[in-house]
Amino acid sequence: MDRRTFLAYNALAATPLAGAGLASLAEAASAASIGTPVDFKSNVPAPGSFPKKWICGSSSLMDNTDPPVQVHWYDPHTAILRQNKAYSYEAPFAPLYFGNERVLLLDEGFVQLRNDWDLRAVVDQCIEDWCSSNGRAPESLELLVAFSHLHADHYAAVNQFADRPNTRTMGLTHDEMVGFWGMTNFPEERVTLDLGGREILIWGSPGHVVSEFAYYDSYTQILYTGDMFYRGRCYISFWEPWFESMQRLIDFCDTHPVTHVMGCHVEISNAGEDYPYGVTWQPDEAPVQMTVQQLREAFEYAKRITEPGIYFTGAVFLCNQTRGTTTIDRNPYRYT
Amino acid sequence: MSSPSPSPAGRAYPNGNPDLGYNPPGARHTDSAVPLKRAAPVVHDYACDGPAPGSLAFRWIYGSNVAAKNRDPRVQVVQYNEDTFVLRQNVCVHWEAPFTYLLFGNQGALLIDSGATADAEHYPLRKTVDAIITRWAQARARDRVSLTIALTSGEDVAQNQGLVQFAGRPDTTIVPKPLEAMKAFYGLGGKWPTGTAAIDLGDRWIQVIPTPGAHKDGITFYDPYCDLLFTGDLLFPGRINISNDGDFLASLERLKAFAATHNVKWVLGGHIDMMFVPGKYYARFATYKPYERVLEMEPALIDEALQYAREVRGKDMMLIRPDFVLFNGVSPDARTQVWPEGVPNINAPRPF
Repeated sequence: MDRRTFLAYNALAATPLAGAGLASLAEAASAASIGTPVDFKSNVPAPGSFPKKWICGSSSLMDNTDPPVQVHWYDPHTAILRQNKAYSYEAPFAPLYFGNERVLLLDEGFVQLRNDWDLRAVVDQCIEDWCSSNGRAPESLELLVAFSHLHADHYAAVNQFADRPNTRTMGLTHDEMVGFWGMTNFPEERVTLDLGGREILIWGSPGHVVSEFAYYDSYTQILYTGDMFYRGRCYISFWEPWFESMQRLIDFCDTHPVTHVMGCHVEISNAGEDYPYGVTWQPDEAPVQMTVQQLREAFEYAKRITEPGIYFTGAVFLCNQTRGTTTIDRNPYRYT
Repeated sequence: MSSPSPSPAGRAYPNGNPDLGYNPPGARHTDSAVPLKRAAPVVHDYACDGPAPGSLAFRWIYGSNVAAKNRDPRVQVVQYNEDTFVLRQNVCVHWEAPFTYLLFGNQGALLIDSGATADAEHYPLRKTVDAIITRWAQARARDRVSLTIALTSGEDVAQNQGLVQFAGRPDTTIVPKPLEAMKAFYGLGGKWPTGTAAIDLGDRWIQVIPTPGAHKDGITFYDPYCDLLFTGDLLFPGRINISNDGDFLASLERLKAFAATHNVKWVLGGHIDMMFVPGKYYARFATYKPYERVLEMEPALIDEALQYAREVRGKDMMLIRPDFVLFNGVSPDARTQVWPEGVPNINAPRPF
């Protein structure tokens, strides 16, 4: 397969589908690698933990000595990356899921150039660490660079991976995104990505933007909801698609075990106070992970919303078509 | 307190005629580079016709795309003239990047505002001011230079944080922060906000003009030597958050009347948010501002601000003008689709 064909080839077509009778291929591939394959099917959900406190910027940015990205190993096969707020106020989260044959990087961070900070080196280091503790050769693992939705703080670093061997990256158009996962019926269709024994369920989740996916990892049972539902201001550009996407998430939670619901950002303090758009220091920020209960409560709250505006569900702000006129924070010096 | 005596008629150059060359006949070519060894304290004549010469001919430090990697000076010092310094906090230490002004007279110095960061490790304002004062005192052969620190607003956390660095500094007077104590200090108790006061730096009288509106304790300072108005948060090239529109309007009216009877060369505010294209501004918390507008505003902008302050009065709205943006009763994060008529709508290049 030449490089051009390889890049254009959709990930699912190259990937044995779960239960599609291609298991022998997967076995052959894992037999080729050195270590014993990791069993991602039993003992689920895999126990894992989030840090008590993430790196969250500093009062003086030029005095920040933290690394540009915090790498947290949720469990031995799942890393969660989070950008330092001193490197960009967006500070998105980016999970890195390891399977026996391939690695999935979901979202990237708000950085473009490797000399601003080198995301690719961080990802390579993670892959190297995982391979050395699991007896693999890093070259044998394919890297899939995908993202939750089509916004620059989630895809800007894609060019850092352009010449990385054994790597496929999601294209930056709606059609390429949908095609990357081999979907023909967006957003309803749910597809399964096999990372080599570890299955990721993917379906459409538009609302924040049109081109957005929800990702469910069957090993940790983390439901990754991108920017359409996260611990902060969920900017809902399109209410009806968003509401339907929420319904799909709820339906999914009704039929599948979910340990955590996780979004891409945190913009809210433990006390429920809003961190305004663009702040670079969040000393008391809330955890990134949410419970299914919080998702359900937000959905119940959303059922009563009939007008554009900003609504606080107890866990998140639902900004219904308000990006242009955010009014959560006020001029603190007003007097009469 | 009284006003300074008017300057004599005709242009006099008590401190040296700028039209003459740098080196008088007989000077050796190294003389101007060597610090002067003064035999006695120099008494500078601060009376002059028109504004004292000075310039801000230096580009402001504008931060970095990746703020954590910024290695610029934490305090940028620009010397306007021998007795006037403009200091600016690095935007990667604090996104407000406030301006701080240091003025000298024959008896002492005045520091207007104190920056947005208390930590002297991150923002060494005291160290910088002390160094400037020491150097100035050497050039003028003065043993001691008393320092007064006054704020354009005591309540503004973008301007009052550096005060703590000056606690216990000898020969230092800090104008108290609470509104009533501040009024009493200036002797404005019964005539706030219509009266004025003055701070004597020794032949250089800095006028104190109450200008509430952006802050309830807002003050504007006027320097009759350089003919500069230091307006703080009331009027600056940026996002002006009006905290009380009635006071804001009245303060601008008083400023306009003041500018009609006094020479004003420039209005210097406390921040810059605008870009160098008209009507465009950097968002709050921006730490990379390579296309900033210049700091100085022409005095005609007082009239323009007044005109549009009347327009927004009593309405919850924001209003874009080429050199400033008014926010009245709306979130500091508000946006508007309304673009001012006749102003070219140019998009400045976006970094990254």
